[in-house]
Amino acid sequence: MYNVQTQSPVGNDMKLQVEPFRPAVEKDYTALDKIIFGDNQFFGINHMSNEKAQSQAIRFKDSETIIKVIDNAYQAGIHAFMFNTHDRVKALCEHFRSHPDKYSDLRLYPSLPYAHKYANAVNESGMLGALNEFIFSGRTTKEAISTIIKGGKSIIKKDMIEVMKLLVDAEMRMFRDLPIKAVFLQNIITDLLLGLGVRDVFTEFVSHIKKKYGVEAAFNTANMPVLVDYLLDCGIDNPIVCASINKVGFSMCPNQAECEKALAEKPFRPIAMAIFASGAVPAKEAIEYICNLPNIRTIIFGASSREHIVDTMNMINSCWKEK
Amino acid sequence: MLRGTIVGFGRMGITHYSILNRHPQVKFVAVCDSSGFVRYNAAKYLGVEAYDDYHKMFREVKPDFTIAAVPTAMHMDVVKTAILNDAHVFVEKPFTLNPVQGNELLNLIKGKDLIHQVGYVVRFSDVFRKVKEFMDRKVLGELYKFKLEMNGPTVLHGAKKSWRSNRNEGGGCLYDFASHGIDLINYLIGPPDTVVGTVFQRIFSKDVEDAVISTFIYKGGLCGNLSVNWSDSSYRKPDNCFEVLGKKGKIIADLRTLKVFFGQKPDIEGYTQGWNIKYFPSLAKPVRFFVRGFEFTRQLDYFIDCILNNKPSEICSFDDGLKTDTVIEQIRENGTRDIINKTN
Repeated sequence: MYNVQTQSPVGNDMKLQVEPFRPAVEKDYTALDKIIFGDNQFFGINHMSNEKAQSQAIRFKDSETIIKVIDNAYQAGIHAFMFNTHDRVKALCEHFRSHPDKYSDLRLYPSLPYAHKYANAVNESGMLGALNEFIFSGRTTKEAISTIIKGGKSIIKKDMIEVMKLLVDAEMRMFRDLPIKAVFLQNIITDLLLGLGVRDVFTEFVSHIKKKYGVEAAFNTANMPVLVDYLLDCGIDNPIVCASINKVGFSMCPNQAECEKALAEKPFRPIAMAIFASGAVPAKEAIEYICNLPNIRTIIFGASSREHIVDTMNMINSCWKEK
Repeated sequence: MLRGTIVGFGRMGITHYSILNRHPQVKFVAVCDSSGFVRYNAAKYLGVEAYDDYHKMFREVKPDFTIAAVPTAMHMDVVKTAILNDAHVFVEKPFTLNPVQGNELLNLIKGKDLIHQVGYVVRFSDVFRKVKEFMDRKVLGELYKFKLEMNGPTVLHGAKKSWRSNRNEGGGCLYDFASHGIDLINYLIGPPDTVVGTVFQRIFSKDVEDAVISTFIYKGGLCGNLSVNWSDSSYRKPDNCFEVLGKKGKIIADLRTLKVFFGQKPDIEGYTQGWNIKYFPSLAKPVRFFVRGFEFTRQLDYFIDCILNNKPSEICSFDDGLKTDTVIEQIRENGTRDIINKTN
C-alpha cells in the first residue's frame, strides 16, 4: 500500500504538497487479484455496437445504479475494480470514502488517463491549453501554487516527463485515501507512447507510481507482444500487461498467434480483458479459451446484472480449479 | 528504408508518427512544428531533427515522404513544397481550402512519380470497407434515398481562439468535421449533381458553424440528406451513421455495426433474406500496430505500400480529396444563400 509520507522520495517538493495521499489499511498485495471488475459498461463504452453503448449510458445515468452493480459484484466476492479516470468515477470514489466499513476489503486499479476528455480539450484549447486545464483544473489557488512550484522546473524546461508526472498526479487525485493495488496506463496512451518509442516515459512512469503511490505500474495495450518486448528491453522486469485476449482474436494485434506465443514464452504478468469480444464469444467458450492459455492468472470483465456477474465468476473459478 | 518527415506535430501528427515509427520500412528523420515545447521534446525524446521552418526542413532533409498534419489553410503550401522537393505526400483532411487550390496541387503533381493520399480515415474503417464492397457490387439494386448523420462532442463550449474557430484557416464544422461525412458519401455513392437546402447552425461557436444540414440530389432521382453536428455532448466520440435504400434492400452502418436488409434472398455468402446484423468484432481484422483505431494504421500502411510498390493510391488520392473539396464548396455556396441560424 502506498504511504506518501514515508515512501515518497520526491524530496523538498513534498512539503508543498497540499493534499497528499494518506495510507489506507495496510495489507499484503503482492499478488494481483484473480478477477477484476471492469467499468466500460458504466460509461457507454461498447465495441460491439453504438446502440448497446447508448442503452448502457442511459441505464447508468445515475451513480446509484452503478453503485448497485458494484455492490452486487462486491457481495459476490469480487473486491477488485478497475476504474478509468472518467469524471463520473469521482462520485464513486467519494462513495467508497464515505463507506469505509462497507468496502473494507476494496482494491482499486485506476487506469489513466481517460483519453477522450483530453482529445476534446485539445480540439478546443490546443495542446498546451489542454495541459494547463488538466493540471490545474479543480484546484484551489493554494494547490495551484503548490503545483506550479513543484512543476516549475518542468514548465521552465518544458520537459514532457515532468508534465507527465503532473498529469498522473492530477488524475490520481480522485482516488485519494482509497486502497490502490496498481496503476494502469490506459491503452490509447500506452500504445501511442510505444509507437513514439520514448523509453524514459515508461521507466519514469513506473518509478513515479512506485515512489509516489507505493504500488506497481501496469499497462493496458492492444499491442501486447510488442509492448512486452519493449518493457523488458527498458529493464522493467516481469511487467503487468493487460490486453484483449479472446477466442476470436478481436483486438489482438498484430495477430492472435503472436499474442498466444508471447503468453507462452515471455516473462510477464498478463491480464486478460475483452475475453467475450464484446459478446462475440459465448461465455463458456470464452472462459475455457482463457483458462487453457498459459500464464494468465487475472481476468477483467464487466457485467451489468447480478446474475451475469455471479455466473461469470463461477465459470472462471470452476474453470481455473479444473486446471 | 523510407525516410519520413511530419509537418505539424499536434494530435494527428503525433498519432501518425507513432503508427509509422513501428513500420519496419520507415524511419522518421525530422518533424516540423511551430511550438517550441513540441520541438524541444521531439528532439530530446524522439531523436529526430525538429524544425520550425518546413521549407528549410525539405531542403536539408530531402525526405522520401512527408505527412502534412497542419491546419487546413497551410495544406496548400506544405503540399506544394513537398511536391517541389519530390516527396510522396500524405495530407490530413480536408485536402485544401477550395477547389482552386486543389486543382493547382493536382496539376503540380501530375506527371511526377509521386504517391499522394488524403487522410479520410473513415474510408479504411472495417465496417465502411464492407459497405463499399456492397455498393460496388450494387447489392441493393437501384438506389433512391440515403442519409448520412455525423455527430460528436468536439466543440461543447464557446470557442477559444484556435484555427478551428477561424473559417479562413479551415475551421468550422463544415471543413474540419463534416468533411469526413461528405467524403464518405462521395466514396460510397458519388458526388451529388446539385446541393440544396443547406443550413449552417451556430450552437456554441461565435465565428463558425457547429452544425450543417444539406440535401444532395443526383441525376436519375437519387437524393440524400447530410446532417452533421460537432456539438452533441451525448456522444462519447465522433461517429458516422449511414443509411441507404435501394429497390432490393437497405444498409444501415456506423463505425461499429453493419445492418443489411434484403427483400429477397441475396447472392452473397453469409447473408440471407431479411435483416443481417454484423458487429465490429466479427468485421475487424487486427493490424500490424494499433494506435487509436484499426483504420488509422490501415490508411498509413496503405500509403507506404503504395510507395514501396510504386502503385497510385486507389482509395483516397488527391483526386478524391479534390472531389470532396468541390462538394464542400457547393455546400458552402448553397449555405451562404440561406439564413445563418444562430440559436444562442
